[in-house]
Amino acid sequence: MEPGGAAMAAAGCCLRPFSCERGLLSRPDGSAAFVQGDTSVLAGLYGPAEVRGSKESPERATLEVLLRPKVGLPGVGERSREQLLRQTCEAVVLGALHPRTAITLVLQVLSDAGSLLSCCLNAACMGLLDAGLPLSALFCGVTCALDAQGAIVLDPTTRQEQEARAVLTFAIDSTEKKVLMATTRGSCSVEEMQQCLVAAQRAADTIFQFYRDSACRRYSKS
Amino acid sequence: MAALELLSAEGFRPDGRRPAELRKLRARMGVFAQPDGSAYIEQGNTKALAVVYGPHEMRGPRSKALPDRALVNCQYSMATFSTGERKRRPHGDRKSSEMSLHLKQTFEAAILTELFPRSQIDIYVQILQADGGNYCACVNAATLAVIDAGIPLRDYVCASSAGLVEDAALADLSYLEEAAGGPQAALALLPTSGQMALLQLDSRLHEDRLGAVLEAAGGACRAVHAVLDRVVREHVRELTALLGD
Amino acid sequence: MATAFKTVEPLEYYRRFLKENCRPDGRELGEFRATTVNIGSITTADGSALVKLGNTTVICGVKAEVAAPAVDSANKGYIVPNVELPSLCSTRFRSGPPGEEAQAASQFIADVIENSQIIAKEDLCIANGKLAWVLYCDIICLDYDGNILDASVFALLAALKNVQLPSVTINEETGLSEVNLKQKNPLVIRKHPVATSFAIFDDTLLIVDPTAEEEDLATGTVTVVTDEEDRLCSVHKPGGSPLTGAKLQDCITRAITRHKEVKKLIDKVTKSIKPN
Repeated sequence: MEPGGAAMAAAGCCLRPFSCERGLLSRPDGSAAFVQGDTSVLAGLYGPAEVRGSKESPERATLEVLLRPKVGLPGVGERSREQLLRQTCEAVVLGALHPRTAITLVLQVLSDAGSLLSCCLNAACMGLLDAGLPLSALFCGVTCALDAQGAIVLDPTTRQEQEARAVLTFAIDSTEKKVLMATTRGSCSVEEMQQCLVAAQRAADTIFQFYRDSACRRYSKS
Repeated sequence: MAALELLSAEGFRPDGRRPAELRKLRARMGVFAQPDGSAYIEQGNTKALAVVYGPHEMRGPRSKALPDRALVNCQYSMATFSTGERKRRPHGDRKSSEMSLHLKQTFEAAILTELFPRSQIDIYVQILQADGGNYCACVNAATLAVIDAGIPLRDYVCASSAGLVEDAALADLSYLEEAAGGPQAALALLPTSGQMALLQLDSRLHEDRLGAVLEAAGGACRAVHAVLDRVVREHVRELTALLGD
Repeated sequence: MATAFKTVEPLEYYRRFLKENCRPDGRELGEFRATTVNIGSITTADGSALVKLGNTTVICGVKAEVAAPAVDSANKGYIVPNVELPSLCSTRFRSGPPGEEAQAASQFIADVIENSQIIAKEDLCIANGKLAWVLYCDIICLDYDGNILDASVFALLAALKNVQLPSVTINEETGLSEVNLKQKNPLVIRKHPVATSFAIFDDTLLIVDPTAEEEDLATGTVTVVTDEEDRLCSVHKPGGSPLTGAKLQDCITRAITRHKEVKKLIDKVTKSIKPN
């Protein structure tokens, strides 16, 4: 299936420059800071650790996500994003290997210049890697914006998101490029959604290559 | 603009009722699948929903469990769209807490809690539309829900409000009559024995008049009892027909 | 015997049914539960609707108030949705502040309203910069048996169709607003979004309209919201098992079919109400 090749080539298919720093916090078991253009998110991971009685699950580890915005108290929007992140991580973390434990993921938004949810997803994945938790697959987040003409813009800035007709965020897994998480804002047609999905899967390749390079660099030194 | 007369010269109230007449009462049991017992009641324009979970193991701190009887936990909540002005805090405010406490005291008197030591019975009441007599509608709905859940009761608990206007005692007050500011009482009665589970009166009333008000409330409660009893027997008849007896 | 097996091994019990392409309550994998809707039952609310999706019961009440519009959007009113999952609807919800599921559902409904443009906020403006309508949409779940998002969106749509707003005019001389309760106008509903939820089992099977038990056993959920022009208002897949693009396309196709069924039901109910 190769829909809309011309539209894709004309639009901004490249992601903003991104970088990642791992192991920068000393207290958490794993930490990572992910920067996409001007958006940056810091993730700290604690676990597997002891869990409070009521939340204990005898079959798998209990995952908890806390998302703190840059200013103000967490509201309903943050709770909704926490639920998205939690269920995405639950799908990849092999929780059955650590029953009756708790894994806590804390995300702090350092700066928001568009594509915040995908930056959070990437930071979460890097944090999980840094903590050494067993995962069934890696995942990455890609945001696509559809502007007024219907062209696809990947990794949009805040300005592009506000002017766009629709903004779609996908979490793609690394093994089979399937969709782990999808959320949309604004309305679009079915064909446009499929085109965005294909573009996101292509962009995911770049991000996974970056994960691999980052891991090679980190472990080749020591 | 003429003031609305609570009792016209011919002896009719604003909605056309006689002083001792109740509003139209409609009730249904077993309306929901999740809870152990549920009931829905319409008293005039007041619509109330009651749901019972239990008896089940204690939720929350085990230390609160009573060693010889069941703990009755009630929660009263009004939907935000139930009143004319949007209600900002559906539960947790003082009025709701007071109502919850009254419900708890009423049902602790009626339910045979000694049969279920160390367990908990939850009664949740939700008002969908409020038009006076909120507490009374809740008690009536909760009685039906408790019966639907199969929890043993000493007797039906029937409640009704009563007020006084110009020496005439009115039974089952609507919102208009409650807001007028005259003395009003709420009575929860166990009809067969004639014992009162709860009586609340928050206004000045001369003791000579108290008898008339209580009598009006008592009569209304017994009328409510007749309706609720009929509803319960209907429901049981339907159930046994379905079970194929 | 069957109930004992169901308690001990719920997933295996379910798999036996799924192998025969049906579910314990007798439905096909792609079949919805019986949907009923009751409009206008709460007279204190400006608009109300009660929706029953099988056992899941949701009531939505809309109350309208007036307020000053925001400074940066002087010609727009507000729509404020709120989903409440009280402890009476199921034992899984404790009393206290709203839990994560209720907040996530509220955010989802707010997003659906925003994405689908169900009501243009400009229609809610009374006087530019001075007065605008605020619609408080309160959705209360009365009985929780799964698929709360579908029922909430449906209840919201039906309640908004039922809303009658009194006409408000601003008196030129005094500058005060005058409300005329006798003259009521219905809201202009531009789009009709309908939500369809699916549960993912064992990473492959897709089941439509899950009950509460099915949701607990499922490995993921997907909710697709479409409007009458077959456009997507929202694709909500909060994590869970990964899906290919083709499977997602199947979900969307099924959602489009469901939209037509629901639209027919709403039209039938709206027509049957006598205008007063």
